[in-house]
Amino acid sequence: MSATTRAVHLVSAYKTNPISWWLAGLSLAIVASLTSNIYVLLAICVGTLSIIRLCRDDSPWAQSIGFYIKLAAIVITLRVAFRIIFNLGSSTKDAFLLLPSIDLDFGFGNALKLFGPISATAFNFALVDGFRLAAIILAVGMANSLANPRKLLKSTPGALYEIATALSIAINLAPQLIASLNRVRRARSLRGQSKGMKAITGIVIPVLEDTIDQSMGLAASMSARGFGRKGNRSKFQVIGARLLAFIAICFMVSGAALLLFSPEQQVLELTFLVLGLALAVISIKLSSTRGTITRYRKEPWRLGDVIILAASLVLMVLAFGGAFAR
Amino acid sequence: MIQLKDLTFSYLKSDGSKVSETPQINNVNLTINSGEFVLVCGPTGSGKSTFLKTLNGLAPSFTGGVITGELKINGVELLGLEPHEFASVVGYVNQQPENAFVGDTVIDEIVYCAEQLGLPIAQIEKSVQKISELLEISDLLERPLATLSGGQQQRVAIASALVAGQKVLLLDEPTSALDLVGAAEVLRVLRRLCSEEGVTVLLAEHRISRVIAEVDSVLVVHGDGSVTKGPTATQFNDPRFVPPIIELGLKLGWKPLPITTTDAAKKWNETRPEFQAKVLSNATSEVLAVSNLEVSFGSVQALQQTSFSLAGNQITALMGENGSGKTSLCWAIQGSGTRTKGTVTTYKGDTKDLNAADRLEVLTMVPQRAADLLFLATLSAELEESDKYAEVSPGSTAKLFQSLAGRIDTSIHPRDLSAGQQLSLVLAIQLVKQAKIVILDEPTRGLDYSAKYALAKQLNSIRSQDRAVLIATHDIEFVAMIADRVLVLEKGQLVSDSSPLEVLGAGKPFASQLAEISQEVGLISIEQVKL
Repeated sequence: MSATTRAVHLVSAYKTNPISWWLAGLSLAIVASLTSNIYVLLAICVGTLSIIRLCRDDSPWAQSIGFYIKLAAIVITLRVAFRIIFNLGSSTKDAFLLLPSIDLDFGFGNALKLFGPISATAFNFALVDGFRLAAIILAVGMANSLANPRKLLKSTPGALYEIATALSIAINLAPQLIASLNRVRRARSLRGQSKGMKAITGIVIPVLEDTIDQSMGLAASMSARGFGRKGNRSKFQVIGARLLAFIAICFMVSGAALLLFSPEQQVLELTFLVLGLALAVISIKLSSTRGTITRYRKEPWRLGDVIILAASLVLMVLAFGGAFAR
Repeated sequence: MIQLKDLTFSYLKSDGSKVSETPQINNVNLTINSGEFVLVCGPTGSGKSTFLKTLNGLAPSFTGGVITGELKINGVELLGLEPHEFASVVGYVNQQPENAFVGDTVIDEIVYCAEQLGLPIAQIEKSVQKISELLEISDLLERPLATLSGGQQQRVAIASALVAGQKVLLLDEPTSALDLVGAAEVLRVLRRLCSEEGVTVLLAEHRISRVIAEVDSVLVVHGDGSVTKGPTATQFNDPRFVPPIIELGLKLGWKPLPITTTDAAKKWNETRPEFQAKVLSNATSEVLAVSNLEVSFGSVQALQQTSFSLAGNQITALMGENGSGKTSLCWAIQGSGTRTKGTVTTYKGDTKDLNAADRLEVLTMVPQRAADLLFLATLSAELEESDKYAEVSPGSTAKLFQSLAGRIDTSIHPRDLSAGQQLSLVLAIQLVKQAKIVILDEPTRGLDYSAKYALAKQLNSIRSQDRAVLIATHDIEFVAMIADRVLVLEKGQLVSDSSPLEVLGAGKPFASQLAEISQEVGLISIEQVKL
């Protein structure tokens, strides 16, 4: 075995903990959202794609990557196209694309200007923005197609019943949706083609219904086997844990939002994120009172996981360092 | 063990008001004993699944609706609790285990419930060992679930439902997707669980002819809200779902009614009823020619080089175990499925080269997951759309649907129909089309006997119009009733192409129940028996 194949074998989807792929995907997404360097973004896009190619197995969720690639391509195209069409306030100084402009006057306010000369800076900005979104989509797509959603489901803490169920169903949804889409499209052709709206509803409705049915079926099967049992916890503990989880999520979301929209308030952002994380840990601890759930076989952390997590950590440190240094 | 008192369950009206509909389960009073093996049956859409779900809280928790009355298991009142509060007492297994699996490997899946209930590790170890031996899966524990056969998967699902020492097991059509071997495996372990471990088993099934000999009693969900339970022979007075063996006894006036094949065989030998030769329809002109067809998915060869032709005026059955390539063959013939090699020629050309409209003109197909074809908001809209598309007189689809599924309120959403009713609807929609070739993939799953007769009648009339019918199925009794020719696939290879008398005759692997009872050469279906 060559060194590459051995490495791939170590981190292949079947051998690793699904949580490490999700952490890796999320850290790549965070790195992408922090950087404006087109080369870094390109590296993330190419990197995620090659990791998926190397590490995926032939499981149904691994098939969903085609969908993410298409979505990423559409996002880049749309972002650039919008910049060209709705060309607002572009300076003509370093114009490199000289398109004739169209003025749409609706009789109120300023005339809406379409097209017109576009500066290289503006074009560049749109392109970077498009690639940033594409990199985030591919990073999430990587996690979704490499992490076994069923394994992930099993390792969610049953204590946070509603949140865990909603999350696991949501994560299961994308691969399932794509599988149903392929099946329903084929089945629909047996019925005869309707035109216009009917043709769309003829695909969308069975797909959505099927996906929801399947997710509900899975949830029912889990519930019938004891998932979400409160065990011996008091009502106070349950409500307390939920409240805490809610506050934790609020802190983390606002921290992340601040980080994205005003990267200059570093201290506040970090405080929010750390506070949110700490509260989340307390909440999970509080609700997972010992004795409620047994782990017969812990999902082990293998060498592959260590490699993935270490790589993600290095990336994060570099990205944060870069973001704060600016 | 289980005591129901005035148990009533009704769904809420779908218009958003809090008003309940006529109860699906109405004022049910009955007792089920410890270790009793109960068959739950009833006509298509009567509410068998709903009834099972009321016994572990899935109804109303996951279905919506209102439940009242008393539900005692082991003397403890459990009505109104969430499903996870039932988990330590009641195990539940549904139709498609692969959709319910949370684990990756067999052992992951089995221990899931025990983990959620917080049992100590030592106890889990012990019960895994015991339950896997009982279900004959001890040597599969480390295997990934995806590599198991349907019957094995279903046994894993049962093990997972009983790992915490549950003494009640609910199964919703666990064998409907399984071939003969898989179904027999599951049935055998269920019988053993009842007799040796004292587990109370409630088994909802449609293909009941081979089950009734094993069960202790039969519970009928009638569909009008009433639920009755009694000894097997007393429960089949509803003509909609009389299984063949009972039908035979009733037809010949046998008393007492034999329930097991052995008893019926004894009776047959005593009375030696007369029967007529099976009438098989002769093939007319060739309608479809499959030549050198091959299907591979990656490295897996689903269908090896296969050639045969279908003729008008004939119904051909396609049989074989799960995974033998039946569905792949159906889709490859239809034209949109994967094909590695080969051609499928019709009067308009190869189905693969036809556009969607031409394909529909040549061929109509009902796939295994029939519900994928339904997309409108009401039953009446679906029926009208079908009439319009097929260019048949208004009401034709509705008439055919009614003959299959009975009278149903047409303002209902198609998703609220039962699985059997949905299949009936799709059968009606696809069979009113006038295409020369008809392909049906498992068209009798979840249908009661009266629906099967109605389907057989429709297929007979299609046959008489010089059209060709191909049916992929596990339903031996249905094949015995209508097929003129049987193709058998084994691991992707066409191993036999012969008359149903040979494939379904006494002593053959697909022997029909009547052939087994009578051991007569040339007798496979009940219509042949003379009064």
